[in-house]
Amino acid sequence: MVELKNITKTYRTRRGDVQALRDVNLRIEKGEFVVLCGPSGSGKTTLLMTVAAMLRPTAGSVCVEQRDLYAMSIRDRAKFRARNIGFVFQMFHLVPYLNIVENVLLARHSPGGLAGGPSAADGGTEAPKEQGAEELLRRFGLAERASHKPAELSAGEKQRAAMARALFNRPRIILADEPTGNLDPANAESVLGHLSEFHRDGGTVIVATHGPAAGRFADRVIYLRNGGIEKAG
Amino acid sequence: MWGMSIVSLILKEICHRKVNFVLGLLAVMTAVALFIGFFTAGAASERETARLMLSMGYNMHIIAKDADMGQFLMTGIADRTMPEQYLTKLASQKTISYNHLLATLQKRISWQGLDVILTGLAPEVSPPEPQGAGSKKPPMSFEIKPGSLYLGYRIWNTLGLNQGDRVDIKGKTFSIARRLAESGGVDDVRIQCHLRDAQEILELPGQISEIRAVDCLCFGETDDPVALLRKEIGSLLPDAQVFQTKAIAEARAAQRQMVRNLFAVIMPFTVIACGVWVGVLAIMNVRDRQQEIGIMRALGHGSGRIALLFLGKAALIGLLGAALGFLLGTALAQYFGPGIFKLTAKIMIKPELALLIISLIFAPVFAAVSSFIPAMIAVAYDPAVTLREE
Repeated sequence: MVELKNITKTYRTRRGDVQALRDVNLRIEKGEFVVLCGPSGSGKTTLLMTVAAMLRPTAGSVCVEQRDLYAMSIRDRAKFRARNIGFVFQMFHLVPYLNIVENVLLARHSPGGLAGGPSAADGGTEAPKEQGAEELLRRFGLAERASHKPAELSAGEKQRAAMARALFNRPRIILADEPTGNLDPANAESVLGHLSEFHRDGGTVIVATHGPAAGRFADRVIYLRNGGIEKAG
Repeated sequence: MWGMSIVSLILKEICHRKVNFVLGLLAVMTAVALFIGFFTAGAASERETARLMLSMGYNMHIIAKDADMGQFLMTGIADRTMPEQYLTKLASQKTISYNHLLATLQKRISWQGLDVILTGLAPEVSPPEPQGAGSKKPPMSFEIKPGSLYLGYRIWNTLGLNQGDRVDIKGKTFSIARRLAESGGVDDVRIQCHLRDAQEILELPGQISEIRAVDCLCFGETDDPVALLRKEIGSLLPDAQVFQTKAIAEARAAQRQMVRNLFAVIMPFTVIACGVWVGVLAIMNVRDRQQEIGIMRALGHGSGRIALLFLGKAALIGLLGAALGFLLGTALAQYFGPGIFKLTAKIMIKPELALLIISLIFAPVFAAVSSFIPAMIAVAYDPAVTLREE
């Protein structure tokens, strides 16, 4: 469960303060598929980063799985993020010098995994870890591309690789920021299908987008404008 | 454990951004090569100084107080003698600064129709080496066995004498142990023998005419080494007088000073420049990798691990730079050293392996320190900001 209470986020810039989020209150249940919709600058990404334990709000609290994220130390927050949250970005953010399997393995963290790759309890040796990554890549239709570098992949393949990385550590929640923004309709459908599959398996999905496509998969669509919730569907 | 080891990440990143790595390596190599080059050539220069001193002779002279200084300066022979015990008295004093002491007894004599200088040489005395300091200083003069002679060129050439021939001097028989090469100087008319033999021939038992010394005083601008030595020796040997052959001492001091000056000016400049160079490259590397750092942060990688990516890379650059810099520096010293430090072919510039060990320890530390600020910048990157910048 994700709960945001009275979240305000103000960016201080040279030209003055910019309020990205204004007193946002939001509750997302475990296993829900939520789409955050709104024009550029509406605060979608800021909201996502706040839930991701990467951006401390100026005011308010964020609880994920009954834990107040910003009451934790930076170190604990990083651990919590590694164990519980997977990310998918519009620009994929694959590490250019690692091949696809290695990019997936970059997400590997020993304690507290949920699904996907083998956890520390599985032994945590290099061989099962690699097997887990390769299995995941097979599920995403990237088995043949496992040893390729990101530069050698199409945009759709890159996003699927990023999806595999997000799922590898068996997270409870997937946060996706414009995951289909750089993809053609077929690849966009494929990525949303994978997110939907994760959701069907009991995972929580929060997608920030300004396109309508993700809405078909969502339990709820929340519209943001000028840093506030305009309409919660 | 994390899926990818730090070393593996560092090596893969290096392979991906080769230019950045090569430029960093060049910076460390340059600093290490200059350090190695100067020290290696400097060490050779010190050996050259020692060799020059051997060829130039002794620069401190102690003669009897009543000896005629003018005559000594003209002929190189003191007309009065002093007790041989002066040497042991001098050598046994811990407060006296010297490197080599040599007692001689010299006199002009007529031998087989030739005017020659008979020179008796005592075994040379060196200060005791500190424990564990290695081998004793090599002697600067001949060590002649009793009953043997070293003959100057003009003497053996004129008289047709050969090595092993037996000759008499004032009723005492000697074996010619060595025929010396032509020097073009007073040594060509010199007969050299053991001090005891000279004392016997000249009927001056227990007497010497001169103590020669190589000083070990510092030649700083405000120091007056002669005054210091005169003071030291004056209180010890009241019946002796001390003077210095200044040109030799000054040449020696100048050579040492030249090496130190060059080193003092060039090394700090080079180290700072190369440190800045490594730091700037690391900053460029950090900027190139903002999004990679952001995604690692998002995936839960901690500050220590991210800092290690940069510091580890810097240490690796330092290690490789040290090894390559050592090879380059040694090669530079061997190629340019003789010209810069005025070394002769007789002095070999040898690789100084101790410097390799020093470089292998300090260069990685130096590179890591230079990359410290960039690494901290990387650690401080806010993933929320870097991942949003699309």
